[in-house]
Amino acid sequence: MVKGLCLMGSKVGIPRALLYYYYFPMWRTFFEELGAEVVVSGPSTKSVLNQGVQLAVEDACLPVKLAFGHIAGLARKVDYLFLPRLVSVASREYICPKFLGFPDMVRQTVPHLPPVIDVDVNLYRRNKYLFSAFKEAGKFFTASAARVYLAYRQGLAVLKEYQKLLEAGFMPEEAMNLLTKAAGKKRSPAAFPLSGRSSGQMILAGEEKPMVAVVGHPYNIYDSFISMNILRRLQQAGVKVITADQVPEPVVRAEAAALPKRLFWTLSQRMIGAAFYFLHAGRVQGLLHVTSFGCGPDSMTGELINRRARAAGAVPLLNLVLDEHSGEAGVFTRLEAFLDMVCFRGGKFQEA
Amino acid sequence: MVKGYLGIDVGSVSTNLVFMDETGRIKESIYLRTQGRPIATIQAGLRQLAESLPPKVTVRGVGATGSGRHLAGVITGADIVKNEITAHAVATSTLVPGVQTIIEIGGQDSKIIILRNSLVVDFAMNTVCAAGTGSFLDQQAARLGVPIEKFGEMALLARSPVRIAGRCAVFAESDMIHKQQMGYGLSDILAGLCEALVRNYLNNVGKGKEILPPVVFQGGVAANAGMKQAFEKALGCAVTVPPYYNVMGAVGAALLAREKTARGLPSGFKGFHVAQVEFVSDGFACDGCPNSCEVVEIREERRVIARWGDRCGRWSGALVERKTAI
Repeated sequence: MVKGLCLMGSKVGIPRALLYYYYFPMWRTFFEELGAEVVVSGPSTKSVLNQGVQLAVEDACLPVKLAFGHIAGLARKVDYLFLPRLVSVASREYICPKFLGFPDMVRQTVPHLPPVIDVDVNLYRRNKYLFSAFKEAGKFFTASAARVYLAYRQGLAVLKEYQKLLEAGFMPEEAMNLLTKAAGKKRSPAAFPLSGRSSGQMILAGEEKPMVAVVGHPYNIYDSFISMNILRRLQQAGVKVITADQVPEPVVRAEAAALPKRLFWTLSQRMIGAAFYFLHAGRVQGLLHVTSFGCGPDSMTGELINRRARAAGAVPLLNLVLDEHSGEAGVFTRLEAFLDMVCFRGGKFQEA
Repeated sequence: MVKGYLGIDVGSVSTNLVFMDETGRIKESIYLRTQGRPIATIQAGLRQLAESLPPKVTVRGVGATGSGRHLAGVITGADIVKNEITAHAVATSTLVPGVQTIIEIGGQDSKIIILRNSLVVDFAMNTVCAAGTGSFLDQQAARLGVPIEKFGEMALLARSPVRIAGRCAVFAESDMIHKQQMGYGLSDILAGLCEALVRNYLNNVGKGKEILPPVVFQGGVAANAGMKQAFEKALGCAVTVPPYYNVMGAVGAALLAREKTARGLPSGFKGFHVAQVEFVSDGFACDGCPNSCEVVEIREERRVIARWGDRCGRWSGALVERKTAI
């Protein structure tokens, strides 16, 4: 790792991919607090994906390939790339190994890379190791340990607000926009009108619209290009959409605890816990499970959710598999038929 | 004067049209090969239908379904454009009351629909792999020099069907060639192929589905008695091939059109004369953003009547006259 202080205002690039949807508010706050400018790659497009497919190893999964495309687009525009090596983000749990090897894969194939900040995030043994990662990253920008610590605390606080906004029913992009607006005014908890009144039960309440829950990796369902805009399409069809990421952490953990053995994949745990919750929450009329082709953990997650859904029998489930060859027609036909099924079941049929 | 509803199902291999009277009886049904020219085929179907129906006929509603449903929709002015799963489910639950499982195998798609109390509770469609669908059977029949109409009949003559790997059409073909070179009888190979395809269907599309009788088998492939027998053998229950099995999607579309126009709404049907009108479809790549969407434009006598294929709605949204979002 090249160490040495950089000048104020240097640009840190963050790809709009993978766990961007979970942690970006924290990362951004952290770097901005240290005086850096954060540059995010644009939304995914066909050319981003094409570039990613060319650069990534053939058997990588779709989201990893897409992330390569985002990085290729950023590489020449920034002074640093922030690609944390995510090993574990929760105690006694792991993240998919592709995340672990991601910075190395990128180094091997993406041309014109600026220095990569690839600090290890490994909370497998202890949660407080999170600061170690940020401490390392902070060294690129300041020699002051105190400043780094304060930036880290600020980042954590924003992350907490972000998670509250998700639990209040906002989608990641909306929540990020709200945070940006609030940050423009004043960075204090009071700047978030919605924080405080969020609880998992709240999002299930109110509104007469049929509700469809979408369960899938954040980088699949929130990327409107890869997901073929599934969330928006559902909303346009008159459906209220809720996602796994809007279910509070304790609920997810309690539900996933119903499994005979503890899951050690953090992301799968969220998907399964949330899905189990949706299956008996009452308000949810349809469950959509979105996976990307070639995802190992998902093949298990999908089966576990499938079995539970079948045993429960009350909520129809649709499994959608996305890959770089997915034709929109096939996805839309299934989605349309699924909505017909959900709406017919509810007794009142609405034109989808 | 005859009044009724028109149902159109534009599939990859066949284009089907039905005319259903107000009581729900099918008056006329037409099965045509799409042959890669959906617009011309829809027009040919309309022409044939107009000829076979009495001259004074009132179309009270039009429904379109199938993978070419949007095309059929804009050409005819359909009142409802629905996916084929819903269309098949509606048709079968109307024609075969009490049905609990629908097996539908067409040219490129195969699907399973699970119903309970006439409501769809689960469904699945084949994914990227089309092994075991009609076009593969067509191709194999052609390779073996067996007319597709005779395929089922010959398969029924088998005494001991050979085991063929059906997981993948490419493997199935090489396995069949191997068996044929070893000297197995044609009937046994054909029956073996049917069994392999049924196995593949049940393990993929039907995986994890609760298949309960009455089981209905429809779609073009249901014409193949060998396939029906193989399903019965694998499922251990009777499998019914209903009347109009090969035009069920169109029947469903007609039923949906009847429901849609039930409140006395006038139909958007342009009339049978659209069979004579010149429709041109053309594609171009949009250069508005890096997505380079392939936009399709449908023109009716030089007038643009529909556009689709753009993600952002720049082109499809620009048509005020008739919006067709896919």
